[in-house]
Amino acid sequence: MSRSFDMIASVRLIVGLEIHVELATRTKVFSRVTNPAHASVGDIAPNTLIDPVVLALPGALPVLNKEAVEMSMMVGFALNCTIADLTKWDRKSYFYPDLPKAYQISQYDLPVCFDGSVDLPAVDDKGFPDLTKPSKQIGIIRAHLEEDAGKLLHEAPGGFAIDYSIADYNRAGTPLLEIVTQPDFDNADDVVLFAKLLRNVCRFLGVSEGVMQKGHMRFEPNINCVLTLRDGHTVKTPIVEVKNLNSFKSVKGAIEFELREQPGRWVADGREFGPGTKVTRGWDDHANRTYVQREKEDAQDYRYFPDPDILTLRIDEAWKNRVRTAVPELPMQRFERYVRDASLGVKEAFALVEERDVCYFYEAIIDGMVMQGIERPRASKVAANLVLQQAFKRANEQNLLASEIGITAHEAAAIGILREQGKLGNQAVDELFDLLCTANLVQGRATDPGSAGSVPSSSQPPTTQIKDQLHTAFARVEQFAREWGLLIVRDDAAINTAIEQTIAANPKVAEDVRAGKVQAVGRLVGEVMKLAPGKGDAKTVREELLKRLTP
Amino acid sequence: MQVPTTVREMIAGLAARTLTSEAILANCYDTIAQRENVVKAFLSLVPREQALAQAREIDRRRAAGEKLPPTAGIPIAIKDNIAVANMRATAGSKMLADYVSPFHATAVEKLLTAGLIVIGKTNTDEYGFGSSTENSAFGHTTNPHDPTRVPGGTSGGSAAAVAAGFVPWALGSDTGGSVRQPASLCGVVGLRPTYGRVSRYGLIAYASSMDTIGPIATTVEDAAMLLNIIEGRDDNDMTSRDFAQTQSPAQPRIAIVSEYLAPPCNVEVAAAVRSAADTARTVGASLTETSLATTQHALATYYIIACVEAASNLGRYDGVRYGHRAKDATSIDDMITRSRSEAFGSEAKRRIMLGTYAASAGYSDQYYRKACEVRRLIKQDFDRAFEHADFLLTPVSPSTAWKIGEKSTDPLAMYLADVLSVPASLAGVPAIVIPWGKDANGLPIGVQLTAQSGNDDALIAFARKLAQ
Repeated sequence: MSRSFDMIASVRLIVGLEIHVELATRTKVFSRVTNPAHASVGDIAPNTLIDPVVLALPGALPVLNKEAVEMSMMVGFALNCTIADLTKWDRKSYFYPDLPKAYQISQYDLPVCFDGSVDLPAVDDKGFPDLTKPSKQIGIIRAHLEEDAGKLLHEAPGGFAIDYSIADYNRAGTPLLEIVTQPDFDNADDVVLFAKLLRNVCRFLGVSEGVMQKGHMRFEPNINCVLTLRDGHTVKTPIVEVKNLNSFKSVKGAIEFELREQPGRWVADGREFGPGTKVTRGWDDHANRTYVQREKEDAQDYRYFPDPDILTLRIDEAWKNRVRTAVPELPMQRFERYVRDASLGVKEAFALVEERDVCYFYEAIIDGMVMQGIERPRASKVAANLVLQQAFKRANEQNLLASEIGITAHEAAAIGILREQGKLGNQAVDELFDLLCTANLVQGRATDPGSAGSVPSSSQPPTTQIKDQLHTAFARVEQFAREWGLLIVRDDAAINTAIEQTIAANPKVAEDVRAGKVQAVGRLVGEVMKLAPGKGDAKTVREELLKRLTP
Repeated sequence: MQVPTTVREMIAGLAARTLTSEAILANCYDTIAQRENVVKAFLSLVPREQALAQAREIDRRRAAGEKLPPTAGIPIAIKDNIAVANMRATAGSKMLADYVSPFHATAVEKLLTAGLIVIGKTNTDEYGFGSSTENSAFGHTTNPHDPTRVPGGTSGGSAAAVAAGFVPWALGSDTGGSVRQPASLCGVVGLRPTYGRVSRYGLIAYASSMDTIGPIATTVEDAAMLLNIIEGRDDNDMTSRDFAQTQSPAQPRIAIVSEYLAPPCNVEVAAAVRSAADTARTVGASLTETSLATTQHALATYYIIACVEAASNLGRYDGVRYGHRAKDATSIDDMITRSRSEAFGSEAKRRIMLGTYAASAGYSDQYYRKACEVRRLIKQDFDRAFEHADFLLTPVSPSTAWKIGEKSTDPLAMYLADVLSVPASLAGVPAIVIPWGKDANGLPIGVQLTAQSGNDDALIAFARKLAQ
C-alpha cells in the first residue's frame, strides 16, 4: 500500500515524560563520598569525588543512603504518589566506560514511589496560571531512585583534539530520581510548564538546586503521534525517546520537531507503533533537530535482577509520616493562597513563588506586621509591595535572591509598619531599605533572627522570643531612620503653607480637581511633598488637598 | 623455644612469656622454606625479615608491659580474594595480576586491630570458580598430605597453608563450599559462618548472596576464636548483621541426612560420618535420620544463581580503570572484549556465559527466577529439618582428595564435587567441617555439622565436643 500526506486527516500528539533529578544529598547514593549535586560543591577537579565504591574496586560494596530515600519520598508526596511499603534495588547491566560496575543500580519492579498525579494549571495568554479554568491531570507512573553514571570527555580540557577518551567519575553514584509520567501530554507547552513546575517543586522541597546548566534535571520525552486517516482508520507512529534534554527550550524544540516529522516518517517508511519499534534520538541544539542514536531501544536486554548487596527496604507508616511532615507548602498551593488571601495579581503571586526562600521572607514580613497590629490582608499587600518593588530591584541588580540582599524580614516589617503609620514617605522607604541592606551586608548581620530561612512560614502564635526580636528590630529601624533624617516629623503649619502655595501655582490642575477629576490631585500631592519634604506623609497631604478642593 | 601448633597454646605461651611472636614467625618461615616449593600455597608472601620485624616490635611492646590483645603477634594467611591494603589482591586471576588494593577488607581491619601479622596471600581458583585450586591463573596448589593430589578449593591455598603448618590459621571464603571442602581434603577445620555474620566488604565478589569469609584452623577452638575476631555488623556491608550468642543444648539432637550418604558419596566417607555419629552419641547427643528432599536440585540451583551473580560481578573487569588492558585496541568495545578475553580463564568465561544466558530476557523466568524459587524451597527444607534436629551431620565432599588433573578437563565432574556443600550455601546456614580419620590412601576425611541460621556458637560448641 502506498502512503501519502493526503491520506492524513489529522494528527494528535502523545507525550510522556521521564525526568532525571539529581538529588542534592550530602553524599552519593551508595557511598560516603561527597555528592557533586550538593549545594556546597563548586567546581571540582575531575576524579576527586571518588572512592572504592564509586570506582567499583574489587571488594567494594554499595550502602544505601537514607537521605536519598527520604528525598525521593518527599518528591513522591509532592507528586501525590503512593510510597512503597517495600522497595528494592536491581542491577541493570550494560558495558560502557562511564559505568564502573558494568551495571547501574536502579529499581525494576518495586520503585520507592508510584501511582501519583499532578494538577497542571491552565495558563492565560501571558503564560501565568489561570485559576478560573480547569486544570489538567498528569499521571505519574513511578519515581525510582538510581545512581548516575560518570562522564566521558572526547576532547582534552581546553578543547584540544585527542584520539582517546577521558573518563571522569565525579558524577558516578550521584543519586538520581527518575520520574516517569503517563503519556498524558498533547502539546509541548504543557510539557514545558510541567517541567518548570517540577523544577520549582524540587527546589521548594530542597531536594535539588535545579540548576539546568549543571544537569541537575534532565528530561527525556517519549513522543509519538496518532494519525487519523481520511478513511477513518487511525495509525500510531513508533515512540521516539529523546535523550538527555537539559533545557526547557530543547524540550519544546524536540517535541515540536517530532510532531512535525513523524507523520512524514510514516508516509516514507510506514512504520507503526509496536514492540521493538522504539527509537532513541538525541537533540542537536544548533540544528534544532533530533537525530537517531539507537534503533530498537526496547529490544535492549538489561538483564535486571535484584541486587544481592542491597537489602530490600521496608518503609513503615511512622517513617512515611516523619517525611510527610517535612514537606513544605508547595509553590502552586502558595500561589493560590497569595491570589486568594492577599489579593495579589497572578503576575505578582507567580513572581513570589518562584523561590521558596523568597516566600519564607515574604511571609515573615507579613507575620511581623501582623504582630504589630496590622490587619493580615493589608500586611500581605504592603509586604508584597516591599518584596516585589524594593527587594526584587536590589536582588536583580546584585544577582541574588530577594531574601538574600541583607535586610531581615523583621526589619522589612518595621519599614512596612512605619509606612503604615505615616512616618515614612515613598522616597524614605526606598532609602531606608537600601541603607539597611548595605548596613547588614557590611556588618554581616544578615543571619540575624528574622532573616530569610530562619523564620517559620506558618502563622503560628508568635513566641515571646520572636516578639522580643521584632521589637528590637523595630526600635533599631526607627532609630536608624531618625538618625538619617528619613522620618516624617509632622509639621502641619509647613504643610498648610505648602498646600496653599501649590494650589496657587497650579490653578488649572486645582480647577480640574474641583470639577471632579479626583485623580488629578496626585500631581498636586507631589508638588506639596517637594515643597515640604519630611514634614508630612502623602496620604495626609492628599486628604488635606481634597478637603480644600472638593465640597 | 618449642613452638606449639595451635593458636590457643600460642596465646598461652605469649601471655606466660615462654614464647615470643618472633619465634612463632621464624618457625612459620622455616616451615615455608622447607615445603612451599612443593605445596605452593602462597601467591604473595611478606618477606621474612619484614614479618619478623613486626613480630619483634610486638614482643618489645608486650615485654614493656603494654596492654596488647592476646592474639597480638600471631601470624595469619589471607586468601587472595580478600583485600589487604598495599598488597596484591589477584583473586587468582590474570585480570588482577598486578592489582594492589588501596584498602583493607573489614575482616582484615579487625585482624590487624587484634594484632595479627598477615604473612601472605594464598592461592585460589580464579574468583572462587572451582573445587580444586587448579583454576588459578598462577598455578595450582598441592595437598600437603600428598603432593600429587589437589588440596580442594577454592580456598585451597589457605587450607594447605594451615595443613602444612605454614600458619596456625588462615582466612578463606566460602560461596558453595570453598572453605569447608578444602578443609575436609586437607584435614583441617573449616567454618562457614551464617551469611551476614562476617562483613563481605573487601571480599572480591563471586556470588554476593552466598559469599562468606570463613576461618580455617587446626582446631575448632582456634577457628571459633578467629570468627569472634572478624564477625559483626559493618557499616560498609548492608547484608552484615550482629547475632545473639547461642548455646548448644546439653543433649543435642543430631540428624543424619540420608540423601547425603547415597552415591556419589563414597563408602569410606559415608563410614566416617557414621563413625562420627556414634561418637556424637557417646558425648550425649541423640541421633535421628532425616531427609532433605530438595538436595537433588541444590547443585543446579546453586550453579544458576551463582553464575548469574558472578557474570554481573565480573562486569567491572573491563580494563578501563584497573586490571588487565588489551594492547592496541581499535575501539572501546574492542578494548573491553579483548581485555576480558585475554585475562579471564576458561572457567570464568564459562560462568559468565552461563550466568548471562540464565538472566537474559526470555530465559530468566525458566532459569534464574525458577532457581530463586527452588532456593526458597531448599531453605524451607532446612527449616523443617531443624525443627527436629539441632545439627545435621553429613559429609561435605563426596570423596577425599583426587589427583591433580583428574577432573580439570571435565567441568561437570568438578561441579559434582560441590553437591554436598552447596545446600548450606543456598540456605545461608552455618556449617563447620572437622577432620574425621583417613581413608585407605592415608588421605584426610572430614565431616560437616550444619546448624540453623545464627546458631554458629552452638554449632561450634558441639563441634568442639565432638572433635575431642
